[in-house]
Amino acid sequence: MNKSLYLVGLNHTTAGVEVRETFGLADCLPGRIIESESGAQSVQGEEQQIIPLGGPIDELAILSTCNRVEIAAVGEQDACRDAVLARWAAARNADVEELKPYVYIHEDLDAVRHLFRVACALDSMVLGEPQILGQLKDAYRMAVKAGTTKVILNRLYHKAFSVAKRVRTETAVGSAAVSISYAAVELAKRIFGEMSKQKAMLIGAGEMAELAAQHLVTSGIKDIYVANRTFERARELAAQFEGQAIPFETLFDRLHEVDIVISSTGSPSAVIRAKDVKAVLKKRRNRPMFFIDIAVPRDIDPDVNTLDSVFLYDIDDLKEVVEENIAQRREEAAKATAIVYDEADAFGQWLKSLELQPTIVELLERNQGIAHKELAKTEKRLAQILGRDVAPEMHEALEILVDSVVKKVLHEPIIFLKRRSAEEESARRYIDTTRRMFNLDDEDIPDDAHADRRRKDIRDDVDARENDLGATSNNGA
Amino acid sequence: MTLFDLVYFAILLLYVLGTIFFLAGAFSRQVALKRLAGYLAAGGLLLHTLILIHFLAATEISTLTVSYYIKLFSWCLVALFFILWWRLKLEFLALIASPIAILLFIFSFTHQTAAKMPPDLAGPFFGLHIGSLFGSMALLAMAFAAGLIFIRLEKKIKAKAKLSDMDRDMPALSTFDRVNYWAVLIGFPLYTVGMLTGFVFAKFAWGSVLTGDPKEIVSIIVWLLFALLFHNRLARGWWGRRPAVWAIGLFSLAIGSMIIINFFMPTHHSFQNRPGIEQSVPTPPTNK
Repeated sequence: MNKSLYLVGLNHTTAGVEVRETFGLADCLPGRIIESESGAQSVQGEEQQIIPLGGPIDELAILSTCNRVEIAAVGEQDACRDAVLARWAAARNADVEELKPYVYIHEDLDAVRHLFRVACALDSMVLGEPQILGQLKDAYRMAVKAGTTKVILNRLYHKAFSVAKRVRTETAVGSAAVSISYAAVELAKRIFGEMSKQKAMLIGAGEMAELAAQHLVTSGIKDIYVANRTFERARELAAQFEGQAIPFETLFDRLHEVDIVISSTGSPSAVIRAKDVKAVLKKRRNRPMFFIDIAVPRDIDPDVNTLDSVFLYDIDDLKEVVEENIAQRREEAAKATAIVYDEADAFGQWLKSLELQPTIVELLERNQGIAHKELAKTEKRLAQILGRDVAPEMHEALEILVDSVVKKVLHEPIIFLKRRSAEEESARRYIDTTRRMFNLDDEDIPDDAHADRRRKDIRDDVDARENDLGATSNNGA
Repeated sequence: MTLFDLVYFAILLLYVLGTIFFLAGAFSRQVALKRLAGYLAAGGLLLHTLILIHFLAATEISTLTVSYYIKLFSWCLVALFFILWWRLKLEFLALIASPIAILLFIFSFTHQTAAKMPPDLAGPFFGLHIGSLFGSMALLAMAFAAGLIFIRLEKKIKAKAKLSDMDRDMPALSTFDRVNYWAVLIGFPLYTVGMLTGFVFAKFAWGSVLTGDPKEIVSIIVWLLFALLFHNRLARGWWGRRPAVWAIGLFSLAIGSMIIINFFMPTHHSFQNRPGIEQSVPTPPTNK
């Protein structure tokens, strides 16, 4: 019986967007199937599910986003990998050979490293982007809901989340903005700090302006005005942010109320000139303003930037900021990779220890060690009582005694372990439990660190279980 | 070496170490170092407070030395810094506040044995004069520091220059502006109180409100400029660079005049040893 951890997947570097669309598994996630069963929708055909476990696959979790599909699986060597590929292709009504050229397959330590890299967004198109971790958490939650993860994947994902957190706090890989719209918002924060009291105005309703406004809302801004030449579109957009649409002609009457202006009209000439802004500044008593001009050709006269307490960034300025930030993230990625390798090695150690034989050996050694220590103490006392050293024959007899007590005591647990591990399902769980129960892995790890991790494990497990309960009670209703 | 010398030494050491650790923390972006710096400086402030209270309790107000008042000034600065750190998370002011506080503290030792405050310059009224002026000076010092950082950051943001890691750690521009706002809002009334008590005091001590003392003249100029800033800031809504530049100018003028006039010019604000002063009371001092 040889089990391996596999990571089978494709991403934006190995497959084009068409392939990613064809082989996306968003509708086949383990939890999703249970959800659709509980709903009124018709149940999908069994053959479309990758999930029900069985055959060579013991554990499984699927991540499917627009940039990547990743299947983490634990199962029999080779057979597991082939089964995953076959079911994946079958789920998309395709042949395995069509899928194969785009797929990468990582095994054991490589798989761990790859998953950690994904969790830390080191493998993402936009280095260090924060969404992937949330998507991975969702994917894991789905898998837990469907009950397709067990000892190894549970621990692997929990570890991946904590590695991602560590990378986030210890490196700046996710710190600076790498999209134009977000860079604009970061700059606004650099000027205004807290954004809850600020107001913003969108002039023109371009896509990028919409994105920037979205970021503004998430960073706390409440009031957004939208001015657009077609009023209907302005109203539409305003409704999206619970803002207020204003007629384009009245723009300059309202400009003094806002602190941040995002302009993206298709106008061929400048919409806002320096002398307009001067008048506006007077009206608003010199409070600072930030103009973001993402239109080409530019909407806002560059001279505006020369005014006191007025800041103007156009699209080229923002692009430059983004490029600098990307360069900075790349430097930080090296640090993050070192952390990932470090943590993956630790996980690999644990993975190896899950084999039955080493666990039994360690179990015996650990307990015999205790017995011998106690024996040595007793012999010291015996020497005092007898008034002379313990004779070698006596020592030998005592040693045989303690050793056989240890063996006898551990006999039943070991038989139990062996029996359980003959059953495919539970082997690793029981081995893991035994290791924890006898504290076999704890030799070098400080107590509190371990306690902390364990408590987190429990917390997450409880979390997952609560979700589970929520789902079942919904089913009942 | 007395116990007091030991305490002074400890305070100074704590402040200096705090500054060094803060600098190291800011440049290496190690939060732990900055936190350690905070603890060190807070320890220094605690000792500093205790020793000030001790002297206040142990001696007559009239016999407090100039050295005591300079230590009080440096205490004001550090205490104010901690308040700003706590309320506005403006730890970067430490870069300016702590060196000034340290210099003042060292400076106070040059007057360790210098003249006691002459008895005519004593009493609670005089305490109010000194206290309110030192308070507003400490506020101005903070506005000075915030102004320097503001101008540097604003220039970078306006010019779209690349921000260093340290710049990225800095709070927003508006936060530095808020320091200026509070310094002006509280500092100006305090300064006014200090001036008024000074004039009332002069009336009692020397019989006339204006004695033509150089310190008085500079102070009135500072007060006028301060009033202008107060007005522009509150009534006309000045923001950012202009009030920052003004605060820098005001603080430089005030400190410059304090150093030049109090040491090198004949004045009844002099920190120099003036053995003759006791006899000259209550006649108004003559300016040679």
